[in-house]
Amino acid sequence: MIPRSFEYLRPSTLQEAVQLLDKYEESKILAGGQSLIALMKLRLASPKYIIDITRIPGLSYVKEEGNKILIGPLTTHDTVENSPIIRNKCPILSEAASRIGDQQIRNRGTIAGTLCHADPSADVPTTFLALDGEVVAMGKDGERVIKAKDFFQDFFTTALNPNEVVKEVRVPVLPPKTGTAYIKHARREGDFAIVAVAAIITLDENNVCKSASISLGSVGPTPLRAVEVENALVGKKLTDEVIVAASELADRGISPPSDIHGSAEYRAEMAKVFTKRAIRLALSRIGG
Amino acid sequence: MAEKRRIKLTVNGVEMEGEAEPRTLLVHFIRDTLGLTGTHIGCDTGHCGCCTIIMNGVSVKSCMVLAYQAEGADILTIEGLAKDGKLHPIQEAFWENHGLQCGYCTPGQIMSAYFLLSRNPKPTEEEIRRGLEGNYCRCTGYVNIIKSVKAAAEKMSK
Amino acid sequence: MTEALLSKEIPVPRKWVGTPIKAKEFPRLITGQGRYVDDIKIPNMLYAALLRSPYAHAKIKRIDTSKAEKLPGVVAIVTQEDVLKYCKPYPQIVPPPADKLLDYCIAVDKVRFAGEPVAAVAATERAIAEDACELIEVEYEPLPPVMDAEEALKPDAPLVHEEVGTNLVWHEVFDYGDVDKAFAEADKVISLKLHHHRYGGAPTETHAVVADYDKGTGVLTIYCNNQMPMFCMALIGLSFNMPTDKIRIITPDIGGGFGSKILSYTYMMLISILAMKAGRPVKWMEDRRENLASGTHCNEATFYVEAAVKKDGTILGIKAKTLHDVGAYLRYEPVGALLWIQVSSGPYRFKNLRMDVNAIVTNKGPVAPIRGYGRIQHLWMLERTVEQVARQLGLDPIEVKLKNYVRPEEMPYVSPSGATYDSGDYPTALKKALQMINYDEWRRKQPELWRQGRFVGIGAALFQDSGTNNFAQVRLIYKNNPFSGNSRMAEMWMDEFGRIIVAVGSNPHGQCHETVVSQVVADVFGVTPDDVFVVPGFDSWVHGWTGHSGSYASQFAVSGIGAVLGAAKRLREKIATIAAHMLKAKPEDLEFKEGKVCVKGTDRCVAFWQVANLAYRNNLELPEGVEPGLRVIYTWKAPFKLPDLEKKTVNATLTYSYQAHACVVEVDPETGKVKILDYAVVDDCGVPINPHIVEGQVHGSTMNGIAAALFEEYVYSKDTGQLLASTFMDYLFPTALEIPDIKVDHMISPSPFTELGTKGVGEGSLVPLGSIAGAIEDALSPLGVVITDSHNPPERIYRMIKEAQKKRK
Repeated sequence: MIPRSFEYLRPSTLQEAVQLLDKYEESKILAGGQSLIALMKLRLASPKYIIDITRIPGLSYVKEEGNKILIGPLTTHDTVENSPIIRNKCPILSEAASRIGDQQIRNRGTIAGTLCHADPSADVPTTFLALDGEVVAMGKDGERVIKAKDFFQDFFTTALNPNEVVKEVRVPVLPPKTGTAYIKHARREGDFAIVAVAAIITLDENNVCKSASISLGSVGPTPLRAVEVENALVGKKLTDEVIVAASELADRGISPPSDIHGSAEYRAEMAKVFTKRAIRLALSRIGG
Repeated sequence: MAEKRRIKLTVNGVEMEGEAEPRTLLVHFIRDTLGLTGTHIGCDTGHCGCCTIIMNGVSVKSCMVLAYQAEGADILTIEGLAKDGKLHPIQEAFWENHGLQCGYCTPGQIMSAYFLLSRNPKPTEEEIRRGLEGNYCRCTGYVNIIKSVKAAAEKMSK
Repeated sequence: MTEALLSKEIPVPRKWVGTPIKAKEFPRLITGQGRYVDDIKIPNMLYAALLRSPYAHAKIKRIDTSKAEKLPGVVAIVTQEDVLKYCKPYPQIVPPPADKLLDYCIAVDKVRFAGEPVAAVAATERAIAEDACELIEVEYEPLPPVMDAEEALKPDAPLVHEEVGTNLVWHEVFDYGDVDKAFAEADKVISLKLHHHRYGGAPTETHAVVADYDKGTGVLTIYCNNQMPMFCMALIGLSFNMPTDKIRIITPDIGGGFGSKILSYTYMMLISILAMKAGRPVKWMEDRRENLASGTHCNEATFYVEAAVKKDGTILGIKAKTLHDVGAYLRYEPVGALLWIQVSSGPYRFKNLRMDVNAIVTNKGPVAPIRGYGRIQHLWMLERTVEQVARQLGLDPIEVKLKNYVRPEEMPYVSPSGATYDSGDYPTALKKALQMINYDEWRRKQPELWRQGRFVGIGAALFQDSGTNNFAQVRLIYKNNPFSGNSRMAEMWMDEFGRIIVAVGSNPHGQCHETVVSQVVADVFGVTPDDVFVVPGFDSWVHGWTGHSGSYASQFAVSGIGAVLGAAKRLREKIATIAAHMLKAKPEDLEFKEGKVCVKGTDRCVAFWQVANLAYRNNLELPEGVEPGLRVIYTWKAPFKLPDLEKKTVNATLTYSYQAHACVVEVDPETGKVKILDYAVVDDCGVPINPHIVEGQVHGSTMNGIAAALFEEYVYSKDTGQLLASTFMDYLFPTALEIPDIKVDHMISPSPFTELGTKGVGEGSLVPLGSIAGAIEDALSPLGVVITDSHNPPERIYRMIKEAQKKRK
């Protein structure tokens, strides 16, 4: 199984990568390649030009700036999983990264890669949406910031223009009294989710839910925020009754696909179950 | 078809070179061009882990990497583990604990174990299972593979 | 657990036999020095890729290869035209009218499953061959596919093979004992419809072939990873109309098989045709998508079962109508639909059995003799039936099983179909397995767990692993089939330096035949296994073989070792004759030890090399009448009889290993996901030659069973006929995170029918299909859920739970 022929380009700066993207129409950025190369081998994707950005220096980093964590686009899932900054300040991203594929894939796959691939059943996109993360996109006319809610547009489609690349990924430093959980229902541990839920819950000093951010993966063309669930939590003491009642709203506004691992109806039911479990787990993780 | 060009890389401590076209996968380059056939191909889609090698210090599936991406890289394959005719402790442990049967997935299992133990010399059983999640085996039920990696960790910590 | 085998309670029969020595094959395999087919390179070799049908059922209107031919690097393309020039259709083993079924190594006129080869390209590089496949234009006229055995029997169903005129390719009724009387005397009759799903061997190494046609000698050499090449030899010879002396088959190291690699002869031929047409050697390595799509799945079967039982759970008789969906071509079928005959009553002692057996073709990939071939389906059906008998009578399934098992004192036991179960103690094995999972404690805790809403259940099953088959069983498919018995050939020689060399006609792929043969031979000659060299791999020009040779059907420890022992004794006798002459002693006064032959109780010895020197270089010193050289051949023959064609009975297998499994599972009632909390196996394969290897086979077969029960299914679209589990993203191999630790213990019931008391071991019959189904049903017993499918993914269980809850409300 070998890809169709293509030209291989290796820019030495991100600016150069953008120029190449702009110049060649059927071109594609290659980062970790853990999705793209498989698709090319199956001949389901056949770019004429591959722009390999993995040699560009300085694109793998994790740093804290203000109330944000800045992540270089080529930062691998393994680095995200094990970064002390992310583990301490935004543990849900670490948890999501740890559930991707397997060790070899996490060693090679990158955060920008999985975001740009925009598979609605992938682990990081769902979490990124719950985090209200940001992507810094770079094009030939400059940079722009795209919010997570605007970034995912459709199955495997993002708001990036064809000649834009991701320069940086940003997620918030989570406030105190916040608990998070990323869980998924999958046949095997490392599989793409049948349903995935990312939950971020912040309580106020009276242990009333100050904010709730719940996103669901694998229930529509993009990861989706469970807005009705969130609304049913905010302003309330999160008793189990509240959580159960809120979770029952998780199937509102979703349009799950059907495949051999789960029908649309099953996914809708599982969205409720896993929303409930994610909220419970997130709540249990809020430190005193 | 795109032009072929020569690429250089270090494999098992030896600088090697060979011709590849852009679409040549690293696993084919290692097997067919460099003639190191210990690295196997089992699935083509990055699932089975038979083609696992160590590239610049980390385990990767060489069927999911282009040969060009490995230009200049430092690569370790199964053939590079035993030194001066002496088996690596992981290899010894697989032999002693019957950690394989048909042997086809074994080079990948051993390279994944090598990466795991390089980072976590005393893994728990759960950590071993997680470390080997990306390597399918159809023969052993993983029982003796887990046992082998535990035994290897003990050997290496001595 | 290995230690258990060596403990005092179990006799160690000899010095090396029974010892868990390290496998001789492994040093090469752990250092990357194994040689598999894909590692072979021949000068001037081309690389092949296959174009496969995107349709499950379609007429081929036109194939245009002209664009592909023009692609630089393309050397030869083979389509149906070439195949018809080179080949006759494969012979079939079914009676008329299905014997007219036309089967070739490529689709001819029609494609009958999605993934069937339509064209093959040989090019200077694999990538170019794949590019060329995309340039071949095939015009299809799609036909409606038939994707279900019962649908296929309807009068208006599309025909898979028009030349046969029906999709029902084999039907036979087997009636043993007095079934009608059993049903008349029953307190209760239990009826069930069951479905056994499609999964497969799917070894990590896919099918691979290197074909090299030597124009000078006219010899076609095929390097391949076929498990049973001598079966292929006949088919290839007949289809090519080529004398078998012109066909040389070589198997190097093989990366797993599980039965699936028995059917690769179609590829061996297709790639050979490419090589002959191109005039150059050709290599083809199947990719995974092809491997999943192209069949070699296990037999899918639907059962309509009725059991006649007494109130106390005694089973009087069983009636079953079985529909085997064998896919688009017969290949090895309908053997899989027949093989229940080896285990007709399973481990149970009921005498009355009526089997109405139907083999049906559909537009799915052709099935193959997958691990536990034909027996698993039947044993799983019996296990489900017995458990439902218990549940519907309000009895404990474990008690009902124990009540109905063949008793140890009844061994050897003749089953309704005439198969003789050689030895074993089924009740003890099951109880032992239950102890290993702390059965009593779980049973005690279970009501409280249910009250807490936790669905924890216990399952236990015992399946036999019948080994060393009697090929005469296929005469019950068609009386004219020219096969019977079982045999193996071994060649053994001592070289002039006193080393012992053995060549056996087997194709191991993880069974470590080099190791076990060395152990057995070492004991015969009083040497160590390191002093014995077993020629690796298989080469039909080097290894002696018979029509039964190969590595399949749980038998090497019986048939292969039978041949090795025969050869070893023959060689030992000759060495003893020469040594006796040299030592001026009687052969019966000699002993073999440490590379020497000595007069017992003295220090008068001659070294092996001294004996060999006489035999090879110094033959004027040989005793009168002794032929020079030290090389012998022995062919072992299984002690079978021909079947009784009237009663339809046959002793179909020589040995009966068995495994008892017990497990605890928890079902998540909100998701339907099953988690295994504990798993234990008790294995009895008679005398083990190497406990390491036996235990490895037990682990592997247990994993295969867990995989089949919970993860792996070849799901097809009923509408389009497409395989939906087409890559490893959807065909789910369990990983180290899914398979629990498997506790293993052993019992040893030596076979009375084999010299060392060994039994075949390997298939293990995937007992988890039985134990896990039982455990799920047990966990959900408060809801009254009945498990009727062998595959139980989360959504299926979830739906059953919801249905049951709805009914209760």
